Parts: sequence; structure tokens; C-alpha cells
Amino acid sequence: MKCLLISSQSAEVLFHWTDPEFYQNVQAQYVSSQEDGHGLPAFEDSISTLFAPIIISCITMVDRLGDSYTSFTTENNHIYVLHQFDECLYIAVNGDGEEGEGDLRRKIYVMKKMIEVMFGMVTLSSNLLKRELRPQDTEQRARLWEHLQSLLETYSHLRENDQSFLVEAVERLIHPTLCEQCIEFLERRLVQQLNSSVERAGEEVLHAFILVHTKLLAFYSSRNASTLSTSDLLALIIMSQNMYPSNTDQDDPNPEDIESTSGSGPESFYTPEPSPTDMDSRSSDMPVRESTPLFEFVDPDVQMAEDSLHTLEVPPPDPSTPRRVFLEVSLKDGLFPMMPHSMYCLPLWPGITLVLLTKIPTSAVAMSVYTFLEAFAKLEKRLNEGQEGPAATRGQPTIHDIRSKLDKFIKALGASEIQSAQLQNVWTDFKNRIGRGGPGFNRELIHSCKNMKTQLCGVYRQCFLIESGTADSPRRLSPGLQERAQTMVQDKLMDWKDFLLVKSKRNITMVSYLEDFPGLIHFICVDRSTGQMIAPSLNITERNVSELGKGPLAQFIKSKVWSLVSTTRRYLQKGYSTVTLRDGDFYFCYFLWFENETGYKLEAGDIPVLPDDSAPIGMLAWDYYRKLLRYYSKNHQGEVVKCYELLTVHLGVIPTEVILQHCRQLASKLWEPSRNPLL
Amino acid sequence: MAELVLPYSRRCNYFFLYDGSKVRGESDQTREGICYFYPEETPLDRQELLCGQLAGAGRCVSELSSSPVRILNLHRNRFAIRMEDDLLWALGCSVEVPTVSVCELLDQLINLFCFYNGSVRHSYQLNSQETLASRWAQYLSHLQSGSSELQHIFSCLTTIDSTNVDPLLLLKAALILQACQRCPLVLAGCIIFRGRVVSTQMSPQLTMKLMVHESGTYTKPQRPNGQSSSFGSAVSSTAVFLTPSELQYLQSTPVDKDFSSHSTPHKNTPLKKTRLSRTLSDTPSSTESEPSDPGSSQSPQKLLSPHLSESSVYSSDPSQSTPNPPPPQPPEPPLSNGKHSSVEESLEESYYHSFHSNGEGGSQIDNGGDSSAFGENSHLNGGGVDGACGEEFNFRVAEESHDNKVSEEVSGRGCGRVQGHEVERPDPPRSDAFEHPGESPLIPMTLYLHRVKGLVLALLVEPHFLSDKASMEEVYHSSLASLNGLEAHLRSVSPGVPGAPGPYIFAHFDCIQSTLTSNLSGRPGGAPERPFVRATSLLHSHFCNTETLQEAIIRSAGAAVYGTRSVAQETYFQQHGGLLRNSGIPNHQDSAFSLPGKARHRLLKHGVNLL
Repeated sequence: MKCLLISSQSAEVLFHWTDPEFYQNVQAQYVSSQEDGHGLPAFEDSISTLFAPIIISCITMVDRLGDSYTSFTTENNHIYVLHQFDECLYIAVNGDGEEGEGDLRRKIYVMKKMIEVMFGMVTLSSNLLKRELRPQDTEQRARLWEHLQSLLETYSHLRENDQSFLVEAVERLIHPTLCEQCIEFLERRLVQQLNSSVERAGEEVLHAFILVHTKLLAFYSSRNASTLSTSDLLALIIMSQNMYPSNTDQDDPNPEDIESTSGSGPESFYTPEPSPTDMDSRSSDMPVRESTPLFEFVDPDVQMAEDSLHTLEVPPPDPSTPRRVFLEVSLKDGLFPMMPHSMYCLPLWPGITLVLLTKIPTSAVAMSVYTFLEAFAKLEKRLNEGQEGPAATRGQPTIHDIRSKLDKFIKALGASEIQSAQLQNVWTDFKNRIGRGGPGFNRELIHSCKNMKTQLCGVYRQCFLIESGTADSPRRLSPGLQERAQTMVQDKLMDWKDFLLVKSKRNITMVSYLEDFPGLIHFICVDRSTGQMIAPSLNITERNVSELGKGPLAQFIKSKVWSLVSTTRRYLQKGYSTVTLRDGDFYFCYFLWFENETGYKLEAGDIPVLPDDSAPIGMLAWDYYRKLLRYYSKNHQGEVVKCYELLTVHLGVIPTEVILQHCRQLASKLWEPSRNPLL
Repeated sequence: MAELVLPYSRRCNYFFLYDGSKVRGESDQTREGICYFYPEETPLDRQELLCGQLAGAGRCVSELSSSPVRILNLHRNRFAIRMEDDLLWALGCSVEVPTVSVCELLDQLINLFCFYNGSVRHSYQLNSQETLASRWAQYLSHLQSGSSELQHIFSCLTTIDSTNVDPLLLLKAALILQACQRCPLVLAGCIIFRGRVVSTQMSPQLTMKLMVHESGTYTKPQRPNGQSSSFGSAVSSTAVFLTPSELQYLQSTPVDKDFSSHSTPHKNTPLKKTRLSRTLSDTPSSTESEPSDPGSSQSPQKLLSPHLSESSVYSSDPSQSTPNPPPPQPPEPPLSNGKHSSVEESLEESYYHSFHSNGEGGSQIDNGGDSSAFGENSHLNGGGVDGACGEEFNFRVAEESHDNKVSEEVSGRGCGRVQGHEVERPDPPRSDAFEHPGESPLIPMTLYLHRVKGLVLALLVEPHFLSDKASMEEVYHSSLASLNGLEAHLRSVSPGVPGAPGPYIFAHFDCIQSTLTSNLSGRPGGAPERPFVRATSLLHSHFCNTETLQEAIIRSAGAAVYGTRSVAQETYFQQHGGLLRNSGIPNHQDSAFSLPGKARHRLLKHGVNLL
């Protein structure tokens, strides 16, 4: 019984995902209420009707009370979590007890993250995003939703089964020599060769990495690239897993797991059984449903060049077409979120993938758009706070700074194939307005700011979301070049292939720790400053038995580890950085601490206390630890602060002193691979 | 006693009862469905907004999940919800209050209302909204009046400080109650001194319900639906309503006449116990003898008109009796001497047994009166916790067949509260209780109150107790002298020095008796205690939600708190000052990890045994 729904404020479905149980539940409600034999309405309509009262109530509460629902729990333990991002309301539901409130909130944030990675700054304009998420063309919509649904399922599967997605940090394959060789190979051979080729069509490879299932074998960033944030890297791993699902579970007797990873299996559940009556109702319903929402929200000022709305191309099945992804870039002159990149996901063997991230030639436009967007957003904020217009326009950055830059920008756009007439008009209007002043000035200017933002997002959309490269000159690494890259790496790793596949399932194992740490059952250690984690493998499938054995015991310990992580997050959210728990036959420990670069342990500081409905603690959807580090570093100016976490599971009979000694040893050893014979 | 009515800090931000059946048509206004809204000064349009939206969204969710909504969170408020048919209760607290506590508070409030008024739907048919509004307000203010935040977290019973009172006084109180029970019409009782429980024979939850009436009368002498009896202002009574399970629980106590005469196991009580019981029974008689004389000499004047009182019971408040007549009681023969003595005999035996069966450490002896009753109760209920839960389950299954409102979720969640919480669950003020014969209705009973200055004897009696002159006289006379004596002694007890703050803070919650022991000053908002209270609240929620969790240490930059629990208790401990500079890295020499040892050591002298 799971569901995730994105809705506009008028209860228009922008996206939905349900599992078969929830789907049936919704249909059943309609069967019972529609006994007059009219057949079932389209699922999208059913779900919209069922949720409409909640959605509308939510909006009413915000408008009139300035407060809104964050969650519902029913007596049979169904949980509903709601979160509004701008004008999009996300609702996540669980009715089978498998996910808690925190998990659902996380899912919502992850969904939003994936949408940001896919649509970039278009997400900053709710109007445009709504149209992007709900394309007018039903087929296109179905394809887009299917893609998002399968991403969501891939994520859920990883979160439930992969420790690195449990703690939201990247796991590296522990094999220093091979890793080093691979990195060198990526740098000296692969990236160099690609970037010097003429077939790269202006693109430049910034990052290249090799994934073995979800684990990182080697990662190389070119010198002029900014670092790839953990959040983005994790999102990219989800995308590559979605494209080339690992078959780690193929031995699993439960076929449903495989289906859910492939993302295409359960599709049959989402379409109602075709029946004559059904077709009738569809044909009568569809036109109505289609015509109403489209123009309802189109602010006259926000009208975009309509033809551009129809040209969005869903990536064709051609595997050589890269994915457009929007990733954060940090440069000397600041942090630029959602900068366009192309992602090439090249399968080497089943389970092993080479991922290339390239900078596209026009990415400078994105930076300009972001600068302008930020300026208008800041101005709007100042105006909303009640600052008088003229004063507000003088704040940093001043509109006058922007003015000439934006004029130049629009002029340059005019010369390109980008449709910028609307932007030009709105900008002219804005310039006129700002000189005027008088009563109602602020309100009008706020409106103008909004328009400018929408138009800028529209330009951005045209530049980066629509495949503007025409058939004759596709903007991408040529298929031949991609193929060569693929072959090069395949040749390099040929001898290692089988080893890597096994290694990825048993990266490190508890066996190596048993002697030194008697009574230790499991541990997870995370370096939050680099976003990396180490943990003994916990594979629970029929054939891949870990030291825990298989069957109920292993499953039990796995569930304990999973619940421990969510428990400690709850305490961390409330400001507790050390937690020890005696639970049943186990003793759990959790520690979070800070060190400086030389490994000196810094004093534990205050950790902010957050409300229950704050963004989930983790690194994938919302980088809590980055904020924590920034918060902590305030008192440690000029020092590089690092943040570590350690979770351990011990047998309850081990004396506490011994457990704590183990923890201390693990903490000091784990991140010194050179000195640690265990790794 | 103004602070009882106007609490220092408001625990609940909103409370309302909304009747959806009154707002069906398009033209019906939301305000017509609002039965009660707190705070009452809230502008009507805001009341309508909250009631309308919460009820609407709640119903939508309930339909989607085919189960009533239990919790509804907003960014700034946390609402516990109860939905029954068209009625919806919502109680909103700040989001800092843990979910368990909010839900518990709402349950308490509704149960209180039903205890004094019977089923909600029914009482709204009988009484004006204004009358009932004042009662909701009274119950709300009572529930919010607890002295400290800690007490709110555990929703515990306020008891007298047993460490400060001569244990013999507690025994005496227990014996007064037991003496009252010799009258077959008396189900159980409790003795309250200045708003604190001295001794009780009932479950903590039921005792809490009596407390509200007691504190209500404490503040204002006029009771809404009580009647003064012929014994003068000292004695009063009021109609109350028990749930079938509460009644069952009371009837299964060892004092029950039917059971105790048949029960054979008591006969085998070892000699050692007899000795203990003898000392117990001897002591009170010696202390009692002196003050009992003036009491009994006063009584004849007050005995004039039990029959008058009988008629007044039914005439002065017809609303209580006519539409809802008490179930016909088989006429009980007056107690013959012979029977009386046999009853007495078995009674005494059962007392011995109860002490025996509850043979706890010496630290518990001062609570002997209370714990014996509880120990025995749960024992007879069929194996304590499990038995009670099992019974509840069957009960619920029976209900389920009538409508689908299952309250499994709550029972699963209430694990920490042992059976007390469970026992209350099935009672819900089912509005249709009277229409559906299959459902178990609330059973009318009478609450008899005898006040001696600050001391109150509260007895749950069969409704026709009031008309039974002989029984009333007997109860009155048998207790009057002892009550006077007890009152005099309790009054003379010095309020007790709160005790040096000490280098540590602790809170010890007894889940069975629902009592809290703590060395916190109790004044709300004490800055140094904040971290402790916050941690305690978090840990308590965690304990409630995770059955297998036994102990925990959590540390923030400001404080390290140790919590441990067993089936019967939860203990929280914080050491002051011990937090030297630490890095948060695992270190076995870290003072935080020595907390369990320190707690064990330090708390022994408070009577808390963590071994």
C-alpha cells in the first residue's frame, strides 16, 4: 500500500506512482461507489478525485491559517506525509508498515531531487514545471511518468537493500591498487583521449567514474572541473541503476524484486483492464479532462511561445543519446546549482558501468540565467519584506548592475535560435516600471519580478531541456567515440571483471573483524565530509550468504540495522550526537564527531535542534551534513573540519566497556587504510 | 487554588468536539456542528476553519484508508484525533509534545467526560451545550493542571510523597478502604488528601478520573451533578459511568464476595505471611481506637434521612435516571450476621494473600497499601498483563463484528503503559451504545464522596447504595473516625523539604501504579532542567514505540541522559557537571557511559532499585 502523488494546488495530478495494492485499493473504492455499471474512470482521475479534498484543505489551511498539514496517521497505521514545494504538493502514503513518516518524507525529497536533476532550473518556476511534469500529449505524459515511476522504484529498492543508500553516502570498492590503476587509466588514457577528439562536438568530459553495481571503483574529475557533490553522485547512481539494473537479486526466489528493479515489470498494474465500457468512459472523459487544466493557470503575462511547448522530445531509445542532467557546480565566483551536463552511461558488462559527465558548450548561458534569476529573487524578497521599491533595487546586487548584463544577454539570445521576444517584452516592461514609483509600486514590481523569473526559466528550458541540436549536428559525443571509450575500459578491466562483481557483493566482510572485535555483529562508518561509507556487506539473497547466514536471522539483523539508522537520525535531528541502546539481545552505538585535517578530535559542539517535519537527515535529497559542517565550522575558522559517524551492533552480552573500546578502535582505524591491515 | 484552573503553561492549544451529522446539507453552517471549542475565546470563523478543514481532511483520509485518523500534524500543532461515527474530537498541542502524550491526553479527556456524563451523544441529547461546555472546560483545565512537564509526559497520578509520610498512615488508609468494602455495595475506593492520592484500590486510570471530581470540588464547592446527602455537606454523591471492562476489573478484585468465598488457594497461605498480616491488622486498630470515639458519637444526628436521600437521588436529577434507568439489580438480602462474619474471614485472608503475592523488596513496603491491591488485581485478572490484554482482544473482536473501528494500533503502541491503558480502550463513548444492543454500554454507578477537611474518601458504589440506609450508615460510621484520625495525621505531616537538589536529576515512573518519583523541583520552565525533560520526553516516546528497547544513553552538547525501563517502570537519570570536554568520539572513559552505574548507586536511596 504505497503511493506518491504530486499535485498542483487545484488538485491536478502532476505525477503519481502507486504500488499494486494501492492501485487496487483506489479502484475498489470506485467499484463500490459506482455500482451503476458506468465502468471505472481513468486511474489518474480516480486518484485525483480521492485526494482532492485533502489537497484543497491543505491550500485553504496555508492561505487562512499560515499552517498546513505535514502528516496524518490512521488507527490502522496508514501514514500520509504531505509537503509543499512552491505550488506543487507532494503526498506520500504508506499502508503496509514498511515505511515510517521519516521514510516517506525522505521519498518526497528524493523525488524532488530527481526532478531537479532532470529539469534543472525549470523547477524554479512552478508554472513551467507543472507543464513539464504533465505534458499535454498523453503518450508523452505516460512515457515521462513511467520514467519517473521507475526512478522512484529504483530508489526505493536501493534504500531498502543497499547500505550506501540507507545512510546516503557512496561506497567505494576497497582495493587500493586496482582503484589507483583505474583512476590513472581514466585520467591519462580515457578522459584525455576523449577531450582531444574532434568527435566530442564541443562537449568536454569533466567527470568519469566506474560503478560496480552501486559501488564506486574509480572516480576521476578533470582539473578544471568542480567537485561533484555527494547528493548529485548518489542521484546519478540511481539513474544509472535505473538504466542498467543490477542483477544482484537474480538468485532471489522472489521474482517481484527483479521486476521492481527493472522498473518496467509492474506496469501492467497501472493500466486498467481494457473493457468496452472502460473505453467508452475514456473517450468521453478525455477531452474534458484535457482541455480544462491546460489554460486554467496560464497567467496572461506568463504565456510562453506556445509552439515551444509542443516540441519537447522524450529521449528516443537510441542508447547513444546522453541524459541531460542538472548538477551543482561550485566555482571560484560562487555556487551554481542545476548547471546542465550530459550524462553518458555506458554499460561495460552487466553490473559494471562507465559513466561520463560532460560539460555542454552552452553551459555559460545557464550561469547567466542563474545570476539573473537570483537577482530577481532577491529583489522580490526585499520587496515582499516591505522595503520600498527604490531602496530595494539598490540592494546587492543592484538592478543597475544587472541591467547592462541582461540587455547584452537578451541581445545575444536574439541572434540565436532561442525565442526570446517574450523575455524582451517583459524586461522592457520591468525597466519602465522600475523608473515609475508611486502607489502600488511594490506590488506591481513584485509581479514584474515573478514574470521575469518565469521568462528566464523559459529561456533556460529552451536552451537545455529541448534537444536543440538538430539531426544534422547532434550535440553529443559521437556514437563512435562512446563506443571507443567503452571498449577501452572493457579491455582494461577484462581480467578483473569477475573479481569485481564478486568483490562488490563482499566488499569488506565481518570475517576479517571477528578476531579483533569479538561480539561485533555489524558496523557502518561514514565520512560525511567526503560522503563515503564503509560497511561489511549485508547481502541477503539465497545464494549470496553473508557471515550472518541467510534466512530469518540475517533478515532480522538487517532490519535492526535499518531501524537503528532511522532511530539515530531522529536523535540527531533533536541534537543528540551520541546514542547507545540496549535493544533485545543487541547493543547499538552511534557516534558523530568532528576532526580537523590532522585527525585531531574537536570538541563536540551544539547540534541544531530541528522540527519533526524538517528535511530528512542525509546527503541525497538535502545535504544535512554539509549544513552541519558549515554550522560547526563557524567556531573553527581557518580549520578544515571533518565529520564522521560510526554505528555498531554488538551482542548484548558483551560488557559495555569492551563495546566502547571496539568503537574507539574502529573509529581510529577505519579511515587509515594504509595502516589498517584489515582492509 | 487559582493555579489549578489557570495552569502556568497551557498544555493544549486547541480542543474541539465536532458533530458532522449536524452539517450535512449544503446550507448547513460549520458552526452548527461545533459542540465545544477550546479556547472558547477563539473567533468563530477561526473555529469554523479548524473544525471544517480538519474534519474534512480527516474524513477524506479515513475513507482512503478505511480507518479513522488518529494523529494529524501541522507545522506548528500536533492534533490527536478521535473519530466515532459523525463525532470528531481533536486535541492540538505544540509539536514539541510527543505524539504518545497528545493521544493519551485526548483519550483521558474523552474518558473523563464519559465517566461523569455517560455516552457523549446521549449527554448532548440530555443537556444543553453550555452545561456540557463548562464540563469539557473543567476536565480540560484539570488535565492541564499537573504541576510539572514531567508529569504531563507520563500522564501520571499525583500521589502524596510516600517517603515523607509514616508508612503506617498509608496502611491505615488502605485499611479504611478495605473496611468500606465489607459493604457489598461498595466496589472500590480511594483516599485523596489535598489533591493527592493517599491510597487507592482502583486502576490508576480510574483513580485519575475520580481525581478530577475531587479537585473540582476542591476548587468550587458546587458540583455540577452531585447531590448532597443527608449526612450533611461532608458527604455527597454523583452519578458516574463505568465501562464494562472497568467494572469487570473492579469485580475481579479479591474482595469480591462471590469469588473470595470459593477461592481455596488462600487457605494455603504460609505462616510467615500471617505474621505480616497480623502486624498490619493490629497496628491500625491501636492507632484508630482513640480518635474513633468522637466520630461515632457525632454520627447519629446525621443519620436521619437516608430515605429522603433516596428520593432525592431520583427526583432531583431525573435526567440521569429516567431515560437511562440503571439495570435492574437483584434485591440483595440484608447481611445476616453469620454471612457477614464469613465474608469478613475470607476478606482478611485475601488481604494476607495480596500482600504475599506482591512480596516486593523492602523499598516498596511504604506503598504496601496500594501495591497490594494492584498486585492482586492483575493476578486475578488472569496472569497480569497478558491476561488483561488477551481479554481486551476478545472484547474487541466482538466489537469489530459490529463496526470496523479497530483500535489495534493504539493497543500496539501503548505497550509501555501495561494494562492500564488497555483496560480503557474499549470503553469508547460509543454514541450508539444504547441503540445497538450488541455493543457494551456504559454502566451507571455512583461515586460516593466523604470529605473530612482536606481528606476525601471516594467510593464507587452500586447506584442503589444511596437508597440502602443500612449500608450507608455502616460505611459512614465505619470510616468516619478513621478518616478524622488520618486527616489529623496527614495534616500534621510537614510538607517535606524538597531535598537538596543533589548533583543529579532523576525521574522514576512506575507504569503499573502510574506514579512518578523525581527530585526535580517541579516548577515549570526551570532552565537547567530543560535538557533533562526534553531527553526524557524523547526517550519515553522511544520506549513506548519500541517494545524491545531496555536502556539508552543519549548525549547532546549540553547533557547526557540515561534511560532504562522494565515492564513495570521507567527511570531517567542525568548527572550534573560531569560533562568534561569531550569530542563525541567513542571513549570508554567518557563520563556518559558511567551513568548506568551511577544511577543504580544513587537512586537506591530514593527507593529505586535498578539492579
